[in-house]
Amino acid sequence: MNPSLLRSPWPWFSALALALLGVFVVYPLLYIFTASFFGDGGSGWVQLMHDGRSLAAIGNTLVLACVVTLCSTLIGVPLAYVSARFRFRGKLLITLLPLITLVIPEVVTAQTWLMILGNNGLITRFLKGHGIFLPSFYGWFGLITSMSFIYYTYVYIGTVAAIGKFDAQLEEAAQSLGTAPVRSRFHVMLPVIRPAILASALLVFTMVVGNFAISTILGHNVPLLSVAIYQAAVAEGASNLTMQSTLASTSVLIVMGLLFVNRRIIARGRYEIVQGRGAKPQPLKGGQGVLVSAAAGVVVAISLLPLVTIAVGAFTVSRGPVMRWGEWTLDNMARVFITAPGPLVNSILFAGIATLISVAFSTLVSYLVVKKPNLVTPLIDYVAAIPLALSGTVLGVGLLASFNGGFLSLTGTSTIIVLAYVIRRMPFGMRNGQAILHNIPNSIEEASISLGSPPFRTFLRVVLPMMLPAVASAAILTWTTTVSELSASLLVYSGGRETLPIQIFRLIDSGLMAYASAYGLVLVAVILLPVVIATTVFKVDLFGSK
Amino acid sequence: MGIAISNLSVRYGAETVISGLSLDIPQGCFFTLLGPSGCGKTTLLRTIAGFAPASGGQIRFGGRDVTELPPHKRAIGMVFQDYALFPDKTVADNVAYGLRARGEKGEGVERKVKAALERVGLGHLLSRHPAALSGGQRQRVALARALVIKPTVLLMDEPLSNLDAKLRVQIRETIIELQREANITTVFVTHDQEEALSMSDLIGVMNKGKVEQLGTPQQIYATPRTGYVADFVGAANRTDVAVRSTSPGLVEFEVAGNRLLATDALEGPAEHGLLVLRPEDLKISSAPVAGLQSLPATIRGRQYLGARTSYSVECAGGLVLNAELHGAGHDAFLPGASVHLGFDPAAARVIRS
Repeated sequence: MNPSLLRSPWPWFSALALALLGVFVVYPLLYIFTASFFGDGGSGWVQLMHDGRSLAAIGNTLVLACVVTLCSTLIGVPLAYVSARFRFRGKLLITLLPLITLVIPEVVTAQTWLMILGNNGLITRFLKGHGIFLPSFYGWFGLITSMSFIYYTYVYIGTVAAIGKFDAQLEEAAQSLGTAPVRSRFHVMLPVIRPAILASALLVFTMVVGNFAISTILGHNVPLLSVAIYQAAVAEGASNLTMQSTLASTSVLIVMGLLFVNRRIIARGRYEIVQGRGAKPQPLKGGQGVLVSAAAGVVVAISLLPLVTIAVGAFTVSRGPVMRWGEWTLDNMARVFITAPGPLVNSILFAGIATLISVAFSTLVSYLVVKKPNLVTPLIDYVAAIPLALSGTVLGVGLLASFNGGFLSLTGTSTIIVLAYVIRRMPFGMRNGQAILHNIPNSIEEASISLGSPPFRTFLRVVLPMMLPAVASAAILTWTTTVSELSASLLVYSGGRETLPIQIFRLIDSGLMAYASAYGLVLVAVILLPVVIATTVFKVDLFGSK
Repeated sequence: MGIAISNLSVRYGAETVISGLSLDIPQGCFFTLLGPSGCGKTTLLRTIAGFAPASGGQIRFGGRDVTELPPHKRAIGMVFQDYALFPDKTVADNVAYGLRARGEKGEGVERKVKAALERVGLGHLLSRHPAALSGGQRQRVALARALVIKPTVLLMDEPLSNLDAKLRVQIRETIIELQREANITTVFVTHDQEEALSMSDLIGVMNKGKVEQLGTPQQIYATPRTGYVADFVGAANRTDVAVRSTSPGLVEFEVAGNRLLATDALEGPAEHGLLVLRPEDLKISSAPVAGLQSLPATIRGRQYLGARTSYSVECAGGLVLNAELHGAGHDAFLPGASVHLGFDPAAARVIRS
């Protein structure tokens, strides 16, 4: 290497970043993989082949993922199509969908489904009073319903973006060549937006595989992979390191396989995405308009249901698990803020610190990867993306197993919770940072250096201010997803370090829905507050830069 | 300070972009690196700036070896093709940036910034942001920003290529004035021969990582030493010819059955050479003109260009040459007409092929 290169700070930063990623990402992952092969009682993979319940969990997870992916696509694509191409009453509500999924943690969604359709649910009891018995919401029915109504938004967002980019002239060209409008749309548009639909469907698939909150709350008698990993890790008495590692490795392998397929789709689809003049939305009137508005309205209403339910539930009197709808109280809220404020304080503290670290780290590292490439930066880029393939449960298991004693003992500390947050959300910060850096020409930096400003000062004075709007929006998105994180923190937390989602999870487990609603409402407020402040006060463009 | 480059080589991985290049640019000289894209001119500029590390050789600014010096310590002023203004800073802060990086503060900075911007005619735009400026204004700010720090050398990377034609001519003049005023050694990179010819004291025509010819604009245009230079700078008819005999200063050659005379630029004995004839040095007439060598020819094609007309002319033996006529009656000849094509041996050159 050129000796003058070592005098600049960047190679040292690269080495440091790689070392940190090595210890906190690669090491836990390798630890799990190794532990799956060499455990007490032989290789975990051999044990797995003889463990009917674990095999069933893997099978169920794959079936669930397929069904939910299909349902999500069937809801998301038509919704995207009508909202991209038509104008109708209530369209504004649909464009707010991304915000809704962003602010409602899965644990809260699962809870509200239970409050409405669970054994003690509002509708269940109402229908029971009229002699109608619904099938139990626990199990396949509940899993598929609740997951589909969360994850369709990812298909929706991906498809809307693709249709927006689709060049309407292609459609006009097809029509000019003699194809009827509907046919031409089908023949010309579908192939062009197919990669986007496939990519978002795959995303849904991976999210279902990794899902913990809904799986564990609604799964009950249906064994699922992430729940099985969790149970193997926290089993009373002796937690089974070999089995949890084997199951976690299975999850990683499934997700990595899907990411690989996803990459192939994107690579193949690249030439197909023609940037062009999007079509102007056409107004829908009469019967068609009413129909579309109604259908879209139902979808949005179901998506909004959790928010309404917890808002009401938070102020409703309860006796144990029984909600007394119609009787109001402030006791539940008093508990959140006065009697047991620990989870609120912990959440703000841990998520705040994690957001700062995550954003600082991912900003610096994306700068290294994009602007100061050297031999190790491609490796850094690759390793920093690994957490994308780790579900929260897998990450939790990995951290728990790797840093329990040994050269770095973190079990039972707040640090390990913050660490889990940082690792889980870092890839999103990286992607965001890299996207914005690709838009800053190198000449800007060179201009600063040529004017006598050393490289690191140039980064601080010139590059960072230009990145700031994007960094701010990354920070807010990191915050929203970190505050609602459950699956990894649930594994690594220790008594007294409960966060809001953990507390909600425990309350749901005990059937205390009113308290859970109060914590849920506060959690949504904590998530929403920075979003509202950023978009209204600081005019940060949260959704444009994504 | 002058710039002295000796035996410089630059490699990117396995690819050698520049090898064994030596160049002396005297103090105060406006030096232009001219060449097509990919010839290494920008790499050479970036190596002088320090952004592209040299793999071998030496670069000196006024006797001081800067080869190993990082760019921010080289005291250069640099102007970029895309202006590279800091978008989040005002015009004044952009220009003040280099002064502040040097630890200057307060009123002194303000005064210098104002003076520098007034010098380029933008004294009234101090508090604007770059996004609110036109392309020409941005390039003026970039120029003021590079010069306000009184750099030892000024480096410009195709600074005019993003501007429209009229503006380009204006800014050309501004650059030349400022450069003369500051008497600063300047390296200017361009692929535009007109810019190179009109602005430079010295031009280095680059090809494949080497300086193919170094000279004043007049030398480069009038006496190109290679076919590449002749073709790149201005238009030229280039034809392989057989050398028959040489007498001091003149060479007799044969092409397509015609025996003709031209200036000897072969630089030594040779059997073959390349005839270089500028289209504007060819005369077309209906009868042979006294004092010019003359070839019977036929007009094959004609492009009327307003101030001049460009003809494609076929001479005896099938040799096709381009000729360009100016002045009264330049459009008088029509395709198919039998004419005489004449040229002065002093205007035609045979160079080593």
